[in-house]
Amino acid sequence: MNSTFGIRHIVQFILFVALQILLFDNLVLFSTGFCFIYIAFLLFLPININRLVLLLLGFIVGFTVDVFYDTMGIHAAASVLLAFLRPHILNLLTPRDGYEASDAANLHIMGWNWFLTYAFILIVVHHAAVFFLEIISFEWYTLVKILLSTLFTGVVVVILQLLFFSAKRAKR
Amino acid sequence: MRNLFAFIYRFRAFLVFVLLEAFCIYLIVQYNTYQGAAFFNSANRYVGRVLEFQSGVTDYFNLATVNSTLASENALLRQEVMKYRQTSMADSTRKMDTTLVVLPDTTIVDSLRTGPQSFTLHAGRVINNSVRRTNNYLTLSIGTKDGVEPGMGVIASNGVVGRVKTVSDNYSTVTSLLHSQMLISAKIKKNNTMGTVKWLGGDYRTAILDYIPLHVKLAKGDTVVTSGFNTVFPEGVMVGTISSVAKEADKSFYTIKVKLAVDFAQLSFVYVVENMQKAERDTLEHNAGILPNE
Repeated sequence: MNSTFGIRHIVQFILFVALQILLFDNLVLFSTGFCFIYIAFLLFLPININRLVLLLLGFIVGFTVDVFYDTMGIHAAASVLLAFLRPHILNLLTPRDGYEASDAANLHIMGWNWFLTYAFILIVVHHAAVFFLEIISFEWYTLVKILLSTLFTGVVVVILQLLFFSAKRAKR
Repeated sequence: MRNLFAFIYRFRAFLVFVLLEAFCIYLIVQYNTYQGAAFFNSANRYVGRVLEFQSGVTDYFNLATVNSTLASENALLRQEVMKYRQTSMADSTRKMDTTLVVLPDTTIVDSLRTGPQSFTLHAGRVINNSVRRTNNYLTLSIGTKDGVEPGMGVIASNGVVGRVKTVSDNYSTVTSLLHSQMLISAKIKKNNTMGTVKWLGGDYRTAILDYIPLHVKLAKGDTVVTSGFNTVFPEGVMVGTISSVAKEADKSFYTIKVKLAVDFAQLSFVYVVENMQKAERDTLEHNAGILPNE
């Protein structure tokens, strides 16, 4: 697994960040629904990844997006928060007999219930952090934004899982 | 001592988390306060290159709009040139005999005609743009090499766009008018009442004009232009037209909605305004103890 970790995840990093900057930057639903697909990179990392590495990766991916979005620090802060919470959420969602060595944050392996709970909790936290850091005050409109954006990102994450993370390949 | 290290080691993830978050907050605060040099933003050379590549592809989709804007701007300029040519032809004082008529002092007349400020425009292509976030920025493919400096105003052919935030050699980042903290000193053209234009988020075609007192008579469709009270924008650059006026019971100012003249979603070419007398005027006002309000 170690040998494949590097290349596969580096490719995923580049792909998701490129998708975010080149495509999803322009796709906004009704001026309220944003899609921050780059966090899929953090969601799809192996379950037993080192927490420190995860935090650093969260910072790096958030910072890269920040540089392109001119929102210095906002996405980095939200991604670091996501990276910090991810192991805790994984602990909460542990199956009855613990995680197996072959388990991955994958819809086909873990099932719909597990994956949707896992993804949506983390996406909500991340989006809430982004939108509140952006305005630093409370508005009801922001809640609508968070809700719609979470749905948007969530649906795209699920579609990505269905399209590119087939059950066969995951079992390998 | 060993206990301390053991403690730090046990909570290393949390400590790293706190450190990274603190650093992020520092970045957010610093970027929002200071204007000027910042390395990590879209004016960065490598980032700029990626954005330029992207806009190289997407630019093809709005070529038609760009063409028509440029054509109409051309027509406008041609008209202006024609006007000047006609005045110069009609003005025959120069051909008169100087012994009989004292020529008007041309330097004074010229400075009055062009106004007290002189401006140079640098044309730039928009390579990155957003209109739907809370704080929107643009990236231009011109930088210090083309004479752009932080703090300069940016206008499009049909109105005000924003203000330069940071500059690198070949690229610059512009704080768009569509930014929660951007204020533009403006006035109503009809009666010269001064106010402030700002954007509250949401619809990118509408901003509000604040601080217009209730005694002023307004009508829908009135033109709002820049005031020229600061050195960023020349006087009289179009901002937009008033689309709705409302009096609210508990406020001593009107609530005015302005339909912005510039369609930010369609921007592809803009001009960075360089004020030749900015330094002089700013020092004067600074020495006189006047604080720049915007």
